[in-house]
Amino acid sequence: MAIEYIHSFLVHPRKNRSDIRKIGGTAVPLNGKLFGLLDEIYSAAEQQCTIDIAFNPSASGTQDNACRALFIDYVGSPTLARGRRIAERLETVTTRRSGMGLLFLIAGKEGRDYKIVVSRFPTDVAILAEENREELSVEFLERVFMKNATAYKAVVYRHASLKAGFWTGRAVDRQINDRVAQISDYWIADFLVSDFEVTGAAGTRRLAQAMRNAARASTNLEIKSEIAAAVTLAKSLKGKKSTTLGFETLLNLSKEAISAINAQIPDHVDDQFLFDWNEFSQYLAYRSVELDNGAILTAESPDFDEVFHRDEAPGGRVRFSTVGRITSERLGKSKVERLGR
Amino acid sequence: MNTDVLRKEYTQRYETALVQLAGAIQVQLTDYLSETPRIDRIGARAKTVDKFLAKARNKDDTGAPKYEEPLDQIQDQVGARIIVFYLSDVENVARVIERYYHHVESRLVVPDSQWKFGYFGRHFILLMPKGLSRPGVSKEHVPQFFELQIKTLFQHAWSEANHDLGYKPTGIPPDPDFERQLAFTSAQSWGADKIFDELHRSRSGQ
Repeated sequence: MAIEYIHSFLVHPRKNRSDIRKIGGTAVPLNGKLFGLLDEIYSAAEQQCTIDIAFNPSASGTQDNACRALFIDYVGSPTLARGRRIAERLETVTTRRSGMGLLFLIAGKEGRDYKIVVSRFPTDVAILAEENREELSVEFLERVFMKNATAYKAVVYRHASLKAGFWTGRAVDRQINDRVAQISDYWIADFLVSDFEVTGAAGTRRLAQAMRNAARASTNLEIKSEIAAAVTLAKSLKGKKSTTLGFETLLNLSKEAISAINAQIPDHVDDQFLFDWNEFSQYLAYRSVELDNGAILTAESPDFDEVFHRDEAPGGRVRFSTVGRITSERLGKSKVERLGR
Repeated sequence: MNTDVLRKEYTQRYETALVQLAGAIQVQLTDYLSETPRIDRIGARAKTVDKFLAKARNKDDTGAPKYEEPLDQIQDQVGARIIVFYLSDVENVARVIERYYHHVESRLVVPDSQWKFGYFGRHFILLMPKGLSRPGVSKEHVPQFFELQIKTLFQHAWSEANHDLGYKPTGIPPDPDFERQLAFTSAQSWGADKIFDELHRSRSGQ
């Protein structure tokens, strides 16, 4: 662990503005309290940043990414001038809503690897209270930058090769501190020109597979039923960005059901992805309920609870009822064949 | 890095990670494309040690080594190939691939002039998905990327024959008439692909 350079820049909102302004920047000494705080951020970056992201190629499909190029240029030779280009890039995508921020570029070496942590502290207001024996003095502070505020963002990249590496990194966006909220496009899409490493279709398919396999593997009827009900509700996740754990929370799954699903994909529960309803509904298109009297009820997953009306019956039994016109009947050797799939 | 060290490092990577990763990618691609029609075959392979070392020795136009860090820079250590029936199937498959994998490169490889015929193919450089390598394999042995080629049957047939005929290690460069004949066969393949695609579209009402 060895930080070699730290540069800091005050970044103003300048999206869609053409006037040129030189961004104020400074090198931060590698000692003192500020260094202590930044050293903590640098050291813990891989743990704090939990969103796996990857740079996108150029619009024409070549292996070029404007932001990655600036980072590699800076890491190769961390100067104030090269750091300023990164700050300028951040300014051009910063809106008034995102507000002013203090950007830190922290570069170092970890064994053979180059490492860079890019961190943005949001601006805030605060009141400074100083007490001495005689009196209390209070002062309004207008430009305070706070790591723990809700808009703190960071990203970390680490690789041995400046030529071929630095395509993937890990980000954090405290503006969306809530696990199931939307990730702001400002940091990942606009500034970093990146996307989640796991695509929506791949992440959603993995979640759907895990839910299906967990329901099949479980001998607990409550868990099977809970997962099946969650599939019906999953349409509400359409277009949301989160992790498997986040989606499980949104679907109000119990600890037992979550545990059964996560056991199917233990290394992927923190993968962040955009929920792809089309993928999910294709993979778990049908929901079936089998009763101990030999009945099998099947309907498209999102519609199951509307197609079949369920009533509780004496003795822990249930009564399902439905009304419709018969469009087809099938005979077969197995359950799957009877269901026509 | 000298050749002996590179051979040792790549051999270890090949044996511990690449062969298994190629198999896992083939399985994954087959799953993702299970509903996509008119796919002739899906394959994946780990680049052999000798082929890797030969590529690592390549020079650029100035005579300088093309790859200073071949273990990181050579991106087809694992290569996959999807062969489809018709030209329009190439783009259909490409769209599926873009849905499931993060790509850092996507290009249509064509001869550099409309007056030339040669290799045609759709190429991707894709991020190696996490979780495909078997447990216990060091991250250092897992490449960041793999290459995917999507080709029609005719494009594939031409490139295989061209590779066999055009890259014989005789040391004697092919004469112009030999190259012209290869270009002629490429033009025929190109024409056959166009006509088959038109026939396919007319039959399917597209």
